[in-house]
Amino acid sequence: MIGVELRKLLRSRRTWATILLVDALPTLVGVLLAVTDLGPRPGEGPAFLSAVLTDGTLFPLAALAIVLPLFLPIAVAITAGEAVAGEASAGTLRYVLVRPVSRLRFLVAKLVAVVVFVVLTVLVVAATAYVLGLVLLGDESVTATGATSVSGSSLSTPELVARTFLALGYAILCMLGVASIALFLSTAVQSSLGAALGTMAVFVGSAVLLTLDASDAIRDFLPTRYWLAFVDLFRDPILWTDLRSGVLLQVAYVAVFFTAAWANFATKDIAD
Amino acid sequence: MLAVAAIPVVPRLLPVDDTDVSAAELLAGVQGSADVGHSGYAETEGAVQLPVGDDLGDVGELLAGTTRLRVWWQDADAWRVDRLLLSGEVDLVHDGPVTVAYDYEDAQAVVTEDPVLRLPRASDLLPPTLARTALEDASPDDVSRIDPRRVAGIDAPGIRYEPSSDRTTVERVDVWVDPGSGLPLRIEVRASGPDASGSPDVVSAFEEVEVERPGDDRVGFQPAAGVDVDRARTLDIADAAGRYAPFLVPPTLAGLDRRSDDAAAAGVYGAGVTRFIAVPLRGREADPLREQLRAAPDATLGRRRTVVADGALTVLLTGSAGDDRAAWLVAGTVTPEVLEEAARALLELDFVDRDGDR
Repeated sequence: MIGVELRKLLRSRRTWATILLVDALPTLVGVLLAVTDLGPRPGEGPAFLSAVLTDGTLFPLAALAIVLPLFLPIAVAITAGEAVAGEASAGTLRYVLVRPVSRLRFLVAKLVAVVVFVVLTVLVVAATAYVLGLVLLGDESVTATGATSVSGSSLSTPELVARTFLALGYAILCMLGVASIALFLSTAVQSSLGAALGTMAVFVGSAVLLTLDASDAIRDFLPTRYWLAFVDLFRDPILWTDLRSGVLLQVAYVAVFFTAAWANFATKDIAD
Repeated sequence: MLAVAAIPVVPRLLPVDDTDVSAAELLAGVQGSADVGHSGYAETEGAVQLPVGDDLGDVGELLAGTTRLRVWWQDADAWRVDRLLLSGEVDLVHDGPVTVAYDYEDAQAVVTEDPVLRLPRASDLLPPTLARTALEDASPDDVSRIDPRRVAGIDAPGIRYEPSSDRTTVERVDVWVDPGSGLPLRIEVRASGPDASGSPDVVSAFEEVEVERPGDDRVGFQPAAGVDVDRARTLDIADAAGRYAPFLVPPTLAGLDRRSDDAAAAGVYGAGVTRFIAVPLRGREADPLREQLRAAPDATLGRRRTVVADGALTVLLTGSAGDDRAAWLVAGTVTPEVLEEAARALLELDFVDRDGDR
């Protein structure tokens, strides 16, 4: 079942088109930075973007900061929202379900496919940005002596690589939170567009609430609250507070919404 | 979902242990806590809307909104305070007479000698620093015990300071203290007025703290290769004005004593929560600031001065637009009447020839 879903995902032209579109924005930003040599002013623009002009190896992180707030969650919401509702609207769900496959396994296979999509997208974005950063951006004499941590100290290349992978892993986990909400909505509505838009409404709503002082009491439970905490991995020493809370929160979202998706789907009328 | 939401809430519901330590003992602990080694993570929340833009450094930003700080404090002479931003850091590393200010997004570190006079900066907002400043001249008779509170996992007994002076805008200061070391862990400052019983004007509290002297490697600054390190002669606008402006401020203003006795064109007057700063500004510095202050909804506008009061803070700027003469910026946690009195005296000052060029 999982193999079938993965093959379907990887063979789908839409998967690769989505990944390319997500990848296009940081690539365009990288090219523009290299051509104009104009970084964002301090305090403006995504994290790490002002630093990539001197150190190109940081561009994967800047690319992550560019796509994480909007592009990546939209792509994940569309892909995960499609999982069940897409089959339902295409009329293939009843054929899938008459096969001797438990509904839980079907749902798990869908989740695994979404996970693979998220991992693939994040890796493609990071790899493109790494190559772009090395070729177009940065000053090699600076890069050769190691990167600068956000706290101003030196980071050796192994440290930078390890922390970059931790950041990618963290971003993937955050996107799984989005995916589980989309998967739940996908079991609840008929149209995949509805599931994707519903998911977007959740994280756009969360982002809006985070800007309000009045929402202080609930802010620590909002799904996007700790998304950008991956920056804390590059402080010296690493500030674990928000990262720890972020991991716990995303695991909770995945557990709650995946369980809800399963509960909803297990009792779903097969006529759908 | 409820179970997840309960995880951070449950420890807060457990009763907080109180101790029978007296308010006077806690006050003495706070006042003597400058050399208590500690490290941790603190957040400050300011509700003082001061319309000053970037003209006064970070002051406006620090007083309004949330500031996230990481601190490693060996003693008053060796500490590091990192102000965490969403996409970077602005750090202060203090070593004896010198402070390094490092900005990640500028990839620059600026080294300055600590001046006698400067504008407030992030390190002044840390719970221990702010509490020591506010309770500097508090006497045991002015403080009383309040309910303990759990701060950063420590059951902290609290004291309330109600200043007896009618010249300050601060109604009361609540401080919760680590009973073992006297280190202030949380401080709430409330301004007098109709909102005095509402939410505090400024709150600064540790979210995590370890009361132990951090190692030398934590309080130093070893810049990476990509960081430009520069030296600067002056730290900020107050430091520059104090050194080079053609005035000498008097030892007393509005009945409050100056805090240092060197010859300078700017000064800080008063103590504790009854204090203000007086700085002369050139026309081109004063004009944009005046414009912003005048746009504040509750600004008092006059031909010769602009006064803005928000919560505990009062700001007065003399002069009017297009005036080439120096204007006096007088600001602090004192009533407008105190600042008006100080400004009148400052406007009487004669020009003085001073060495150096501003």
